[in-house]
Amino acid sequence: MGQQPTTERTISVSVNGETYERDVPTARLLVHFLRDDLDLTGTHIGCDTGNCGACTVHVDGAAVKSCMLLAVQADGRKVATVEGLAGDGELTPLQQAFSHAHALQCGYCTPGMLMSAKALLDRNPSPTEEEIRIAIQGNICRCTGYWNIVEAIQDAAGGGT
Amino acid sequence: MTAVEQETTLRKGHIGVSVPRKEDSRLVQGQGVFFDDIKRHNMGYVHFVRSPYAHAKIVSIDVTAALELPGVYGTLTGDEVALQTDPFFQIAAPPGAHVKDYALAVGKVRYVGEAVVAVAAETRERARDAAELVEIDYEPLPVVVDARRALDPDAPVLHEDAGGNMSYTGVWEWGDVDQAFADADHVVRIGELHFDRFNSTPLETDGALVEYNRGTGQWTIYTNNQFPGFAAIMMGPALRCGIDKLRLVTQDIGGGFGNKITSHPQLVALCLLARKLKRPVQWTEWRTDFHQSMSHGNERWFHDVEVAVKADGTLLGFRAKAIDDAGAWLRYEPLGGVIWSQVAPGVYRWRNIKLEFTQVLTNKGPVSPNRGYSRMQHLWLTERIVDIVASELELDPVEIRKRNYVRAEDMPYETPNGCVYDSGDYAKALDIVLDLIGYDTIEERRKEAAARGKLLGFGIGSTLDSGTNNFGQSQLLNPDLQFSGNNEVATVKLDIFGEIVVTLGTTPQGQGHETTAAQVVASIIGCDPDLVTVRVGHDSYWNSHAGFSGTYASQFAVTGLGAVKGAAEELARQMRQLASMVFQCPEEAIELADGFARIKDGPPEAALPFMALGAIPNANNAGFPVDPPQMNARYVYRPPFEVPDKERKFGKLTLTYAMQIHGCVLEIDPETGYYELVDYAAVDDCGTRINPKIVEGQVMGATAHGIGAAIWETFAYDEEGNLLTPNFYDYHVPHALDMPPLKTGAVESPSPFTPLGAKGMGEGGGGAIHCVGAAIQDALRAAGGAVVTDSHNPYHRVWELIRHPERSRATVEVTTR
Amino acid sequence: MLLREVEYARPSTIEEAIGLLSEHAGARALAGGQTLVNVMKARAASPDVLVDLADLDELRTIAFSADGSWLELGAMVTNTQIVGSSEVDVARPILAEVAATIADVQVRNRGTIGGNVCVNDPTNHHPPLLSALGATFTIRSTSGERTVSADEFFLGVYMTAVGEGELLTKVSVPTRKPGTGDAMTGLTLGRHGTYVTSAAATVGPEGVRVAIGCVDAVPVRATEMEQRLAGGDLSEAAVKAATAGLGAALDPPSDVHASADYRRHLAEVSAVRAVLEAAKRARG
Repeated sequence: MGQQPTTERTISVSVNGETYERDVPTARLLVHFLRDDLDLTGTHIGCDTGNCGACTVHVDGAAVKSCMLLAVQADGRKVATVEGLAGDGELTPLQQAFSHAHALQCGYCTPGMLMSAKALLDRNPSPTEEEIRIAIQGNICRCTGYWNIVEAIQDAAGGGT
Repeated sequence: MTAVEQETTLRKGHIGVSVPRKEDSRLVQGQGVFFDDIKRHNMGYVHFVRSPYAHAKIVSIDVTAALELPGVYGTLTGDEVALQTDPFFQIAAPPGAHVKDYALAVGKVRYVGEAVVAVAAETRERARDAAELVEIDYEPLPVVVDARRALDPDAPVLHEDAGGNMSYTGVWEWGDVDQAFADADHVVRIGELHFDRFNSTPLETDGALVEYNRGTGQWTIYTNNQFPGFAAIMMGPALRCGIDKLRLVTQDIGGGFGNKITSHPQLVALCLLARKLKRPVQWTEWRTDFHQSMSHGNERWFHDVEVAVKADGTLLGFRAKAIDDAGAWLRYEPLGGVIWSQVAPGVYRWRNIKLEFTQVLTNKGPVSPNRGYSRMQHLWLTERIVDIVASELELDPVEIRKRNYVRAEDMPYETPNGCVYDSGDYAKALDIVLDLIGYDTIEERRKEAAARGKLLGFGIGSTLDSGTNNFGQSQLLNPDLQFSGNNEVATVKLDIFGEIVVTLGTTPQGQGHETTAAQVVASIIGCDPDLVTVRVGHDSYWNSHAGFSGTYASQFAVTGLGAVKGAAEELARQMRQLASMVFQCPEEAIELADGFARIKDGPPEAALPFMALGAIPNANNAGFPVDPPQMNARYVYRPPFEVPDKERKFGKLTLTYAMQIHGCVLEIDPETGYYELVDYAAVDDCGTRINPKIVEGQVMGATAHGIGAAIWETFAYDEEGNLLTPNFYDYHVPHALDMPPLKTGAVESPSPFTPLGAKGMGEGGGGAIHCVGAAIQDALRAAGGAVVTDSHNPYHRVWELIRHPERSRATVEVTTR
Repeated sequence: MLLREVEYARPSTIEEAIGLLSEHAGARALAGGQTLVNVMKARAASPDVLVDLADLDELRTIAFSADGSWLELGAMVTNTQIVGSSEVDVARPILAEVAATIADVQVRNRGTIGGNVCVNDPTNHHPPLLSALGATFTIRSTSGERTVSADEFFLGVYMTAVGEGELLTKVSVPTRKPGTGDAMTGLTLGRHGTYVTSAAATVGPEGVRVAIGCVDAVPVRATEMEQRLAGGDLSEAAVKAATAGLGAALDPPSDVHASADYRRHLAEVSAVRAVLEAAKRARG
């Protein structure tokens, strides 16, 4: 099925546990697919060179920048976005920790930041401060200076995500 | 990591409590609504075709090929704009007044990235594709990028109508400057200082979704412009429509920092397109477009700086010539030419000051407010020269500051130009910084670092955050302007089911207005902040805004919360009045507490829940001999200002003065010029802290911005006017691994001038820029004694300072009597 | 930020991939996409066809050669894989140490060693490192397979020995012999940032190898320095003296982050530091 090059494809992507089948131009970025085709606008765009991390999602459990993936590359994969974190409006300990520590101001970097933090805590429940900073290094924040974000992730560590 | 030292303050109800933010729940779930999240059926996506030249005539534009692409809805060019709109109002007096600014380039382009044509199509990708098919023929012109050359007789002129590249020039002088220099024991001269060009790069870029209602001629603009009052005043006359035809709506905004004030040209282009194409149109700015074309911070040169000093280190005064580089257009400028004077003496008591201020236009991105707007540049000047004076005269940098700081006992302190510093204790704050950073161990740490081959340095940055502008200062630049004072509007109502609902004219971009406004209302009305709903953002349809509405200039705690307080107090009065009508008792007998209006010390049944009160005027108003109060209060907060004295350039230009003192320790690798911040302390005083955690968050954010600007962030241009740092790849924004450990402290000196004793804060004043430069110079005393003369010190500059200290030293000269 | 229309295919075997790359003149292999997708977003390059290598599992392995003297990394091995690989840790840990400093977690999760070397951006981490280590590069085409040295692989500005219709399949790195130490250092834009100038060095029984990055289109071996240090004196004085003329012989670019002169200077300082650190590690 993959052999002939095409400019459009039908893809089947699982996002936050729900499977979506859509026709997409092969040139479409995953972040635009999520935001415009699926109306999942929690994932944000902050730059055009893959530096800022506002678009961070999980693909098959790994934190990636969805602005540097084509939608067609997510065909057959499991994607997780910020909308999939809280079940039924019940905030997770990580989300609550962000609020308690005042780790967000404008909230624009927050979805990507949460996804990077979750990816860290999923595999390393007791990270050091350095490990936390490395995990969120690819997420730019212009409001907080990161100090409260690090504190929030420390607070959430060990308490489940 | 926080050590807080409290002064007495208003501690009523929920004021002063770090109440968790109402905004957080939706934001951590990705349910915030930023403008790009909003969609409309059949909307067109807009892409701007931008100039690749810094200066060129537009010979011809051909959109035919673009229009032929399937899915393209239409285009807009400068010719159409020039026919359908009038040039934007100019704040400047002549010659700046003659600049003709439109929504798209007309006839000429004047900086790389200037928008020339707008293309709308059914998808984002298609609009981008179509933009490539627009054919524009340019005739390149010579370019001027160095502000110091912009007034040379042979300099290329950007705006022929203005006759030259000068937008504003004026002499600002107070006290007796000549006498000060005659009295001086030392005169320290610094040939040239430079405050570099950068901005705050909010993570969300500018943009809007614009709808046009053909039947009523009404535009609805969903956007993230952070000063809708200003935007409407600029857009209405340009579009030749009444201001009420421009409904500006903001919801969540991904950072502003002043950089989202001047998007009105793009908004006008979108308005024209929405009307022309008969469909909603949407535009999201690229990061590269933002870097090239939106809101660069003022770049400023200071020449012939001279400081008059007594032998004991008393600073008598200073004089200097400033050249401010406004870039290619005056969108909020030349206001930068007066706003610096809010802090003319900085934090120091000198009484004799002279600044010759000239602003010029160059073929670079247009300048408009950036966090610390124009005060930061001037405060950097004062800190830098105090540091250089201390260094040259071998005075202790702490002692010279304490000797010359405005003192707590001087407050309220009238500056040489009539501004009034409301309150503060700068020396005490400095002591806290020194304690937090372990100042008494600096020399020991210096030796230890030297043993590892590193040069350690310590630096202080004292700065102010002046808040709540008196727009009358604009008349000091242009006496014909009709702007003065300031305002903000709030409404607070008690609804039919007892809900308390607040609307504001402000446009928060992360400052937590919903939360702090709720805290104030809850304190006054006597209920839990959870019961107070504050509507998100700004909407012109709420009729709760005025000409200066927005969130900028560190004023929300004063103007926004002042309006909220006024409206809440009026509502509280009405609630007590209605309860007294129901219980048939005097108003004084009623108290509001715990969600009830009740008779003080009365029986339990003499209590009305808010829902009962709210129902009466809304649905149950029979049986009252006089009209029951409406439970719907609107209040306009007006700060107490006069129009300043235009002759003397004298008067109260701003209401409050928050202060920050920063200290940092860094280590330089002398072989490469690479350096790292290893310790940092910041102490702030913003008067009453409505929500301490929110205040600290602002201090941290401003510190991070200052660190970025000191070390990595610059809008650097080549000689052809190409921006060399047009995206986050080359314009390095600090990330989590780049930050030093941070210790914070606080002092609370309430302002005697504001409704809550709070001062506006948030911009910060660039403290990190000041202390990092000072620390570099301190470190380099052991390696040639270079002088730091630039606000921006990337590794290559530090290496130059180490390699050729004589070059920077040549700019400083000391004359001793 | 928005790609031009492009044709996309996702082959299931290496043969199919090479077939697609040969059939379509404007075809490019898509590995991790951490450079290519950005380039396409900026429309600096717009290949007609993207051949996605994601399903080629044979390119994702890390394994020793039969005699154990080489560590073979499939071209699609990601930097995260390298960081977490026990084989790398045993055979040549410098690869993991350097991979851990490339960009950030998200980019490392996708970015591949093959992509990093095939792009051959002068500021990339792997080219100078692999050059110093003496790595080899295996390229497959319709006419077979060949293996080339680093000198033969890195050819010019964004250009490598991988021609049209060809695919890099693996990068082979010599397993570290006893008494060998490796190091890489330089000046970056912020911590773990893009390199402004870099130097990678190997010190071992076979002598010293030093490669400088960011100063030319390809990594530059500091051959004079290597020769001067062949005698075995790796004291600080000797290593510093060995860099005499190194900077002057370079013609590095000038840009907003560094002048040519500054890069020349940084090249010398980084070369010294890389060699001294490698020597220290060689001594154990």
